[in-house]
Formats: sequence, structure tokens, C-alpha cells
Amino acid sequence: MEKAHKPKKVFVQGPISPDFVAKSIASHQSKTGIGAHAIFLGQIRADQKEGGAVTGIDYTAYEEMAEQAFHDIREAAFTKFELTCMHIYHSLGLVPTGEISLFVFVSSPHRRAAFEASEYIVEEIKANVPIFGKEMVGEAGQHVWKENT
Amino acid sequence: MLAEIAGLSDEVWNEAGGLTVGQFRAQMLDKYPAMRDKKFKIAVNQKISDDFVLIETPAEIALLPPFAGG
Repeated sequence: MEKAHKPKKVFVQGPISPDFVAKSIASHQSKTGIGAHAIFLGQIRADQKEGGAVTGIDYTAYEEMAEQAFHDIREAAFTKFELTCMHIYHSLGLVPTGEISLFVFVSSPHRRAAFEASEYIVEEIKANVPIFGKEMVGEAGQHVWKENT
Repeated sequence: MLAEIAGLSDEVWNEAGGLTVGQFRAQMLDKYPAMRDKKFKIAVNQKISDDFVLIETPAEIALLPPFAGG
């Protein structure tokens, strides 16, 4: 594909609202070449830690490098899979348990590319984007740093 | 977590000659011994770099703890 994809804004402050996800879906109704959307939503889990349950994750990032990493993942995904479009949003700041911190939305003429691309993108984000997460634990304001495995 | 150990989020590192990433790491750990048991990678000008890489000055060096995106 010759088309150059402009860097897009990925980071949003705080949780990603279900309303935003719904509006994103609606905005694709005019793209009638699309036959399949795949959506991945990352939600904050109430893991049990020493000191209590996780109440939320406070995200920070090495933002410039992270934006570049997101851009590289986008480019690679467009090369690898037959995609019509792709949107990635990730939270910064505090996201409470039960709310959404990652929204990956890929669209393709056919389902296979959409399924595969969404998995690829999520795995790449987890491994290669410098985002850091402080898990807030219990009532006492303790925290532990999260580590992707 | 590394900034918590150092007590600051950024710092100027003055070095006259060529320093490799590995030498820089050793200097860091001398200055902040509590970082010895922390896991982190080093990015030079936003590129994760191995210990043998020579740091060309001036450079932006970042200590990156384990990633937690998603």
C-alpha cells in the first residue's frame, strides 16, 4: 500500500467511555467496503494484592517514544493485514477498576484479517510501547508497579 | 519506580568522552544502588539500546521499567 498513514493521537486522559466506543463504531457506517470490525477493549481488573484489591491503574508513558511505537505498530499492521482502517486509543492517568484503558478497533472487508490484526496489535502494544502502570491497592494509598507478562 | 528511587524525574549527566550504554548503566547503579534490583532497559534518543552501544552526546537517555500498557 502506497498510502502514508499520518501519526494519530493515541493517548486519552482517563478511562475510555463506552459512549466513545459506540460513536467510533457509528462513524464507520459510511465506509461500505468494510465487512468486519474487530474490537479489543482492555479493562482494569481488581487483582488481589498484598494490602487489598487493585482499585485502579495510574498510567504514564514515555510519550514521544510511545507515539512513535504506536505509529510503527500501525504501519506494520497495515502491511501485514488487509485493513480498511485502524484506531488505537490508550489511557493516561488514573483508570478505575472495571473501566476501559485500551481500545483497539480494526476494520477490514473480511473477518479473518480483522481478528488477526487486532490480536497482533494488542500483543505488540503490550510488548513494545513504553507505557507504565501503577496499580493502586486498597484504601491506604499503597501501590505496586504493573508488569506485562 | 526508578524516578522514586532517584527522587527526580530527569537529570543531566555530564560525560566528556564516549560512554557506552553499559558504562552509563554502571555509573547509574553506583549513584543509585537501590536500582540494582530493579529491571529496566535503556533508551538512547528513544531507541532501546544494548550495553555495547556508544552514546553520542548530546543524547536523551531514558530508563524504562517494564512496560504495562493494555
